[in-house]
Amino acid sequence: MTKHVPEGTNVDSVAIPPAEQLDGLDDETFRAVVRRFLELNYPPELRHPPKRLHLAENRPWYTKLSEQGWLCPSWPREYGGLGLSSIKQIILTEEYERYGVARTNDHGIIMVGPLLIEHGTEEQKRFFLPKILSGEHIWCQGYSEPNAGSDLASLRTEAVLDGDEYVINGQKIWTTLAMDANWIFLLVRTNKQAKKQEGISFLLVPMDTPGISVKSIITLDMHDEFCETFFDNVRVPARNLVGQPNKGWTMAKTLLGHERIYLGSPKLSGYALGRLKLLAEHMGISEDPLFRDRYTQLRLDLEDLRSLYGRFVDIVRRGEPLGPDVSMLKVWQTELFQRITDVTVEIAGENAALLEPMAGNRELNPAGLYLQARPATIYGGSNEIQRNILAKNVLALPG
Amino acid sequence: MELAEDRGESLRMIRDSAAGIAPRTGDFKRIRALRFGEPGFDPVVWRQMCEMGWPGLRVPEDHGGSSLGVQAFCALCEELGACLVPEPLIQIAMAARLLPATHLSTLLGGDRIIIPAWQERANSIEPFGATVLAGNKVSGRKVFVPFAAGADAFLVTVPGQLALVAQDAPGLSVTIEGTQDGGHFGTLQFDDTPAEPIEGDAGTALDEATLATAAYLLGVMDRAFTLTLEYLKTRQQFGRVIGSFQALQHRAADLSIQVALTRASIESAAVACDSTVDPAIRKAAVSRAKARASDAAMNVTRQCIQLHGGIGYTDEYDIGLFLRKAMVLSNLYGSAALHRTRFAAVAPEQTDE
Repeated sequence: MTKHVPEGTNVDSVAIPPAEQLDGLDDETFRAVVRRFLELNYPPELRHPPKRLHLAENRPWYTKLSEQGWLCPSWPREYGGLGLSSIKQIILTEEYERYGVARTNDHGIIMVGPLLIEHGTEEQKRFFLPKILSGEHIWCQGYSEPNAGSDLASLRTEAVLDGDEYVINGQKIWTTLAMDANWIFLLVRTNKQAKKQEGISFLLVPMDTPGISVKSIITLDMHDEFCETFFDNVRVPARNLVGQPNKGWTMAKTLLGHERIYLGSPKLSGYALGRLKLLAEHMGISEDPLFRDRYTQLRLDLEDLRSLYGRFVDIVRRGEPLGPDVSMLKVWQTELFQRITDVTVEIAGENAALLEPMAGNRELNPAGLYLQARPATIYGGSNEIQRNILAKNVLALPG
Repeated sequence: MELAEDRGESLRMIRDSAAGIAPRTGDFKRIRALRFGEPGFDPVVWRQMCEMGWPGLRVPEDHGGSSLGVQAFCALCEELGACLVPEPLIQIAMAARLLPATHLSTLLGGDRIIIPAWQERANSIEPFGATVLAGNKVSGRKVFVPFAAGADAFLVTVPGQLALVAQDAPGLSVTIEGTQDGGHFGTLQFDDTPAEPIEGDAGTALDEATLATAAYLLGVMDRAFTLTLEYLKTRQQFGRVIGSFQALQHRAADLSIQVALTRASIESAAVACDSTVDPAIRKAAVSRAKARASDAAMNVTRQCIQLHGGIGYTDEYDIGLFLRKAMVLSNLYGSAALHRTRFAAVAPEQTDE
């Protein structure tokens, strides 16, 4: 069971130890330290932002993390990270989520760094890791393509070796915040003859290379963080390949690791349920028996999610690997999130049609919340893919 | 408090001992033979369970029990549910929690079957009602009493205390109605029936019986789901095993989530019962677990019938036994709706800011 420092506990007197001492703290002290760190350092106006922030908005927080040495919690200390255990990383994430900390442009931190630490050459590590830590390099991820979404391994963006350079042609999509990034890490096809998973390589590419163009995609909630990124005869040095050629798929898969548990964190649903409660009060229906029954059902769904999440956290706490059954957390969490927003829209009446939050209060934004919940069942492996995983890898159903 | 490793070890031992009487690999011949008859269970098997110490798991050691926690009791009830075991463990364990030490040796030894009679109307979890005890005589009516036809005595709840009534006491009439699982309920009518007053309040024991029923339901749905998975992997149509069809795979994935949620919910509630004395926290946790277990058990066993197709609709095929058990237990000790309401009334709201 995850223990919590009770809400409202005063952490004013908690001292922030140097970064290198954080992993040595006991879990509860660490939680209090994170809480205090956020109170001292996180910009209050950025709490619980309704959308993914751009780098310009996030930069002061990013810089603060970088200066304090807190930017890369999972990296080993010898590479400039905090060297946190898996369980401390979960505690850190829980406290960030609780406080409403915006996600940063973190692909360098959570993807490229761990990739290079595991598979990079010494030269790559020496060049790239310090620039991620300093905030000089901001990365975006080039995985999905218009015809390679759930079936990612069928990707077709091609890299052909020409002397000591790769020449890249193709298109990536859902390259989150590509307009803010100065580097992109790509999965590219380097062997068209091999089985589809066995002809994929990992390439690191500067975004200012001639031939790259970026176009924003406007989403249903009118945000622009997703992009299309086009590659037209883009040339990069062959030394920008990570690991062995045609081994990119295996590396990409192992990168996921413990991150799968975060897609099942109850915080998103907890946040949405809080908004639903607020909206019900605003609409004057909090005590309506029909609403109470539906609200209680959602509360119970959330409480049981917390219990289930706690079981998976305990596995991480014991230092054991997570099995494929962690997919069930993602399914239940994201679909609960959506059920909550269904009720939000229903009780809001005509207010759910409004483009802007109600009464100028961004906490009362039924339409925004509803649309924000849509991609949750699509990203990170759609829920249909998660159900395939459960059926095949957990329940051992054939085919 | 037990250490986590010790607790894990004692839970394993409990499950192993359950497997001695009710192996998960066993068939359902014994269960079928006991259906629709009285007393609806096998007194010989019940004595074996008493020899294993099961009715006294929650009773203090100095009263002849083994002082184990709610987590251990739930683990045992889950195993019994997986085998549809019809013996009255949950009811007698509840009586054992309430009776004084002087009455325990015959109860825990299996010489006497004492069944709690607390309920006075449908879909209720109130520990007592209008039945009264005056001058050592009970008057009133208790309903939906499981195993009533096999009881030697009833432990009757009245305001502020309990009363022990022999099944052949004058002024007691018992009416039996069969239930879908092959068991029965009794309606007990007391008219100035002689009784022995017993000190105590049934509230906590009733919550534990409720949670134990949720755990039994977990076993029921888990086994039904396991049997259905086996069927999906062997039944062929259109030249393929039907478990290779994605529509059925996704339904199976959803059912596995329901089973996992129920297990997590019950585990949380059992931990809450073992570690807190705050009745509001205990009641909220128990209600949450029973609401989930009742809904999930009906959902899972009903869909298990559907996934079996026509054979699932026959009484001859075992999967139907699980639906019929769920139909009885999902509403006993309070329906999902009742427990949702109770949860909302007692549970403090946890906010995320």
